[in-house]
Amino acid sequence: MTARTPKNNAAPQIPPIHGESFLRMSWRVIKAKPTRVIGLVIIVVFALMGIFGPLLYPHNLPINPNAIYAPPSLRYPLGTDFEGTSNLALVITGARYVLFAALMAALFTVVFGTGIGLLSGYLIGTTDTVLMRITDFILTIPGFPLLVVLSTVWNFGQPVAMGFVLGITGWGGLARAVRSQTLSLRERGFIEAARGLGLPGWHIVFFEILPNMGPYIAMNLLVSITGAIYAEVGLFYLGVVPFHVNNWGVMLNLAVFTGGAMESAKALPYLLSPLVAILLLTLGVVLFLDALDEIFNPRLREAA
Amino acid sequence: MREAIRLIKRLIGGALMVLIVATFTFFLVRLMPGNPVQAAYNTLITRGMTPVQAANEVRVMYGFMPHESLWAQYVHYLNQLIHFNLGQSISYEGVSVLHIVLSAAPWTITLVLSGVVASFLLGVTAGVVAAMKRSSGMGSVLTVSGSLLHGIPQFVMALLLAFVFTTLWPIFPFGAPYGGALTPGFNLPFIGSLAFHAVLPVVAYALSSYGGWLLTMKSSVVSVMGDDFVLAAELRGLKPSIRFGYIARNAILPLFTIFALSLGFMFGGSVFIENIFDYNGLGNLLLTSINNRDYPLMTGAFLLITIAVILSNIVADFLYTAVDPRIRRP
Repeated sequence: MTARTPKNNAAPQIPPIHGESFLRMSWRVIKAKPTRVIGLVIIVVFALMGIFGPLLYPHNLPINPNAIYAPPSLRYPLGTDFEGTSNLALVITGARYVLFAALMAALFTVVFGTGIGLLSGYLIGTTDTVLMRITDFILTIPGFPLLVVLSTVWNFGQPVAMGFVLGITGWGGLARAVRSQTLSLRERGFIEAARGLGLPGWHIVFFEILPNMGPYIAMNLLVSITGAIYAEVGLFYLGVVPFHVNNWGVMLNLAVFTGGAMESAKALPYLLSPLVAILLLTLGVVLFLDALDEIFNPRLREAA
Repeated sequence: MREAIRLIKRLIGGALMVLIVATFTFFLVRLMPGNPVQAAYNTLITRGMTPVQAANEVRVMYGFMPHESLWAQYVHYLNQLIHFNLGQSISYEGVSVLHIVLSAAPWTITLVLSGVVASFLLGVTAGVVAAMKRSSGMGSVLTVSGSLLHGIPQFVMALLLAFVFTTLWPIFPFGAPYGGALTPGFNLPFIGSLAFHAVLPVVAYALSSYGGWLLTMKSSVVSVMGDDFVLAAELRGLKPSIRFGYIARNAILPLFTIFALSLGFMFGGSVFIENIFDYNGLGNLLLTSINNRDYPLMTGAFLLITIAVILSNIVADFLYTAVDPRIRRP
């Protein structure tokens, strides 16, 4: 290793420190750019909102007939809705369903996508052909209209059920990518060696091949979460899914279709609160992905 | 000759996909809670029809008899489908689904295609600029705008656009595909109004997928710029404009692969954009049919959206081979 001379421009320079723990290294990478810290903070705030948000407010949010569609004020920082309920409270309590379902969707996506990609790439031959045909099919079918059609039979009330459907319609791209990486990994020397040792196939797939794709899959998890949020909020916004609990999509739907937010500025805060929440979360994920890229890719870290 | 065989193979594959989707929707409607087919039959009976009349009526709507076995119903349904008979709509009484769906299709296809072309041109140009000027401030601004816009969902984009340009600054009209006072036809005011009303939806489509094009084009241009032939061209003293032509031709190839994916995304997004801008296209039809529990119409709209995506995928695939001669020779 040659000595590094730190440059004085904005480009982050993170020399590797030997024997450093993963968390410490991650924190160093994140600290290198203020935008990454902002991204992390946004994500953490939303996660806390999802976990503790509903505990902050009574089960039935208070209504106030004297403050219907009130503009933002000290008492109602984001204004109020058609019943005089604080929009801030609605956004915070609505986060749980949205985020939990999105997390479930991302998990299902990753499990299906990785599983099918690994199988397809490792077993090759007929299995591969069949699995890739199915993947092509899933990729071709227009996902959102399919969700709309499915909403006629599927009960989306439970976040897990919502997540499952989003996962099962969204794993195609990941499966393709995992398959192509598996195809290249299975020809490498260490896999050859593992096969020579007589290790069972499942061991090779899950303990030799899979760990190499960990970073890619982790980043995909984060991207899938945002994708799932858009899809579910979209479903609720369109009103094809019956409302069980308050969430951001329900707010959008009520603001546009019953509040008339498009015609009058009165309901504007009600419309904008969930929109801003979605945009903020997107911003947080985009900013944080940059850090993840570097945490998982040592080559980026060393190339200063 | 080989091309023809490939086309036929792709078409058969596409037809198979349509068959699977049709099967799926058939069983979906049959297995729905409350069995809409039986429900339609029962309503007709209570309206005073004889069982035979009611069964016939249901057959016209859905393409199969309500009392047959599931398998026989399925075969009936497929047989009707092959003859392009999608049954009759329930909410528009007595109108065939095919007629409704086909009159909605042009709205969707025009919007989606204009959106694709607009976002392609915008994204590719911006991607080239971002790659060429990647060390300057402009390059990074473009890249960040790309990743942010890439992240914003279509309905959020459409709602924001609609709000900003129709309510906040009422520049564009809102809520109809053309001015209400005009008679539809091939006259200048009508087409002008049509185009004017289409600006916002097309921009919504374009902005929501422009980021993807930009980011792909940028990384593609950057990687091509490192190729040896570009260095050779530079050493030969070729003018920058000619070198740029070399780079652009090679860099644009990977974009055709995302073209196919993008089309699916666009057709999927038609549900939102048509809903927000009040276009009577396939996406909006799908929504209203679900709200009206008009399942034959729902099935028809969904099938046609799927067919549109499959067909445009095949077209994109053949466009790709036409552009890149290397693919043609295996």
